[in-house]
Amino acid sequence: MIVAEGKPVEKILEMLAPYKKVLIAGCRGCVTVCLTGGEKEVGILASQIRMARSKDGNPIEILEQTEERQCDAEYNAKFLENVGKVDAIVSLACGIGIQYLGEKYPLTPIYPGVNTLMLGANIDVGRWEERCFACGDCVLDKTGGICPIARCSKSLLNGPCGGSQFGKCEVSAPAKEDIPCGWQLIYDRLSALGQLDKMSEIIPAKNWLRAKGPRTYVREDLTLDRS
Amino acid sequence: MTKQITNIRIGIYLCDCDGKVSKKVDLNSVKVAIQSKAEFEYIRAVEVACTKAERELIVAEIDKYSLNRLLVAGCSDPFIVRQFLQLADDKGINRYNVEFVDLSAAESVGAAVSAVDTALNRLHLRAEVGYEELAVIPDVLVIGAGSEAAAAAKAIAKNQPVVQIDNVGTRVIGLDGFPGAFTVRLLENGQTVKKDFGAIVLALGAVPQYDKSKYGGVELGADVLSLSQFINAGKDYAGKKVGFALGKADEDSLLSFAAVLKAALDLKEKGASEVSIIYEDMKICADGLEQEYERARKKGVNFLKYTGEFQITRFASGIAFMYREPFLADPAKIVADYIVLAEDFVPAAGTLELAEIFDIRTGPGGFFQKDNVHFLPIRSNRAGIFFVGSCHGPIHGTDLYNEIEAVLAEVSAFAKGKVSVPSLQPKVEAEKCAVCLTCYRCCPHHAIEIVHGEEYNNMYFSAARMNPLACQRCGVCAAECPGKAIQLPLYSDQEILFEVQQPARIVAYACENSGFLASEFAKTLDPELQKDLQIVEVPCSGKIDIIYLLKALENGADGVMLCVCHKENCKFVWGNDRAEQRKVRAQQILNQVGLGERIDFVHVAANQGNQFNTAVKAMAEKIRQSGTNPGKVVK
Repeated sequence: MIVAEGKPVEKILEMLAPYKKVLIAGCRGCVTVCLTGGEKEVGILASQIRMARSKDGNPIEILEQTEERQCDAEYNAKFLENVGKVDAIVSLACGIGIQYLGEKYPLTPIYPGVNTLMLGANIDVGRWEERCFACGDCVLDKTGGICPIARCSKSLLNGPCGGSQFGKCEVSAPAKEDIPCGWQLIYDRLSALGQLDKMSEIIPAKNWLRAKGPRTYVREDLTLDRS
Repeated sequence: MTKQITNIRIGIYLCDCDGKVSKKVDLNSVKVAIQSKAEFEYIRAVEVACTKAERELIVAEIDKYSLNRLLVAGCSDPFIVRQFLQLADDKGINRYNVEFVDLSAAESVGAAVSAVDTALNRLHLRAEVGYEELAVIPDVLVIGAGSEAAAAAKAIAKNQPVVQIDNVGTRVIGLDGFPGAFTVRLLENGQTVKKDFGAIVLALGAVPQYDKSKYGGVELGADVLSLSQFINAGKDYAGKKVGFALGKADEDSLLSFAAVLKAALDLKEKGASEVSIIYEDMKICADGLEQEYERARKKGVNFLKYTGEFQITRFASGIAFMYREPFLADPAKIVADYIVLAEDFVPAAGTLELAEIFDIRTGPGGFFQKDNVHFLPIRSNRAGIFFVGSCHGPIHGTDLYNEIEAVLAEVSAFAKGKVSVPSLQPKVEAEKCAVCLTCYRCCPHHAIEIVHGEEYNNMYFSAARMNPLACQRCGVCAAECPGKAIQLPLYSDQEILFEVQQPARIVAYACENSGFLASEFAKTLDPELQKDLQIVEVPCSGKIDIIYLLKALENGADGVMLCVCHKENCKFVWGNDRAEQRKVRAQQILNQVGLGERIDFVHVAANQGNQFNTAVKAMAEKIRQSGTNPGKVVK
């Protein structure tokens, strides 16, 4: 799932300073699941902004609407009526949804209400961890099913480096909590699988072109001829 | 399923309570005011609504005007409440569609009208509560090998099928499903088998354990026995002197006291020459124990009180307790042929493993159940899983039989193979459900499952569903749902937010198990203080959504309070912890936009009216310092 966090409200208030009536658009996809941009958070942000603007003597009217996914045009069409009533949109979808909703309504300014963080797993309520970098060239077969690109701070293909200490990564120190060394995890998993010999296989340099955008993916066998 | 019904026909009865209400408020004026503004089918002012003649008249009026919801405004006597609920049941009116308003507290026509109006709105907003007929499995699984499990199994077997396992030969390794339809995975002769049960009773018992550190390092031996060794050996002590020591181990239960009294009487009967019991405090506060004690005294058992530590010393003539008597200057001595020492009780093997498999948690001493005043002794945090006997802390005989009776009452509800329950569990609007598992993970009662099918109108063809028998209606799921897909009947967001549309200066969201009761008490202590205070009752503080806090402020309140149960004493396990986390975030949200300190989180028990008022004063002082809420949104 795509994981996002709410943007600091002062940034959002700055963006909305010129406007008197806005739409906060939620998404029922990933951002609902990661508790950042579903109907509930739309309501909370709307209430917070209304109060902030009232306090500043500059009241704002806010419409609230949440639809299935902002990364699909058909669902974005459902915002039409409300978009017509407002000066601007704040989207709580991921970066994809924000842009795609904006494309649908190019004459209405759209602003991000979230920072899109990563492709991650929901470990438990309130905790998400990165698992994939969308590099376009998966090496999980060689690394015991653990991604060195996403989980090693240096994205090393042949690790670990000298900064691996007691299973933790040396960049941990300034962070809030220790980061496990991705290559220690790989070693442990390969060891458990009896595939430690894979540690001595050199993984050749990666074709990073596949990780570089703008990327487009087309399935000729599926594309519709709409002519 | 519940659905919003459109054909709402409300009957309003304004009862004068035999002239009590009209001393302060003119009921006719209330009636006229309501008639001018509210929607209803029928209204009547009554002198005394609880007479037989009035009841008959009301029954006739229900038919005449086809009333399907009732509002009774008058006194708040629980007897009247029961009487009207019965009347509603008899007339086929859903009892959840009856509202009561207490007019005895109203000081003016305006106050009375507003109270009736609020209740009327509640009746309009309330979704219909249906009843569900559910098939359940009558079979009960009793887990445990000892006498407690056997007694429970025997009692339950009178009503319904019982399977008893010892959890040693046949072991529980997994559990799925809900009350009325649990599937238990068992390891039987090395094979995994699945068996279905409606309910599970845990009766693993407790086991005695001698701890020498409590007796100055004395090792057990031929003449120094632990209490359980003494009981199990069953030797002949005729002509011998036996001394028992109580109070150093098993201080909290009555088990050792009961066992020692029984053993002492037995020894006297079988001709022991001298039986002495040294004790620090004699604990006999259970049915029959005091009589046993009196009997033992009459039979000549020596009861000797000690204070502080005692020593166990060997002499040529035998073994002795050297102890200090509270009123004598010199040390005292009891010489015996055998001395018997009380032991501690510890959870039986497998207690922790079962707690993990069933997710029912252990508490003090590693026994089942957290130490929480709101938990009934036999109930776990999961409906359909019960405790009996010493597995949730050592208990003594009569208590055991009371527990068995209580468990019997619970499990026998399934004996007929079907139950009818009001459909009061939260309802999920599938269209909004992202199947994110947040509710599933946050439910303290394992009451939620994810169900699939064409009827679930979303991209996953799936939705969360709350099991009506497992759900305990705390509302934590509804407050956590990121998609606002979950509504708890009678406490929907719509109903609660309606109450704070025009809030008082301070809005207190109060748990009905603690804060709400404390607020009722507080009213009687300091009525003046309540002027600026509005109480919004919730079934658990875990139901207090962040948006409830913000909306109260947005709509004009200056401060918001969350009045919740004491820490680790939430009836619904962690509802108050979730509420506290939400309070922290809500206050951050206010701080981010400079609205000041306006939210207070108060732990308060039902009987703490004074503390409640102190908290209200503190809140008032806080908002006095922060000033009027500048975030109020003028509509």
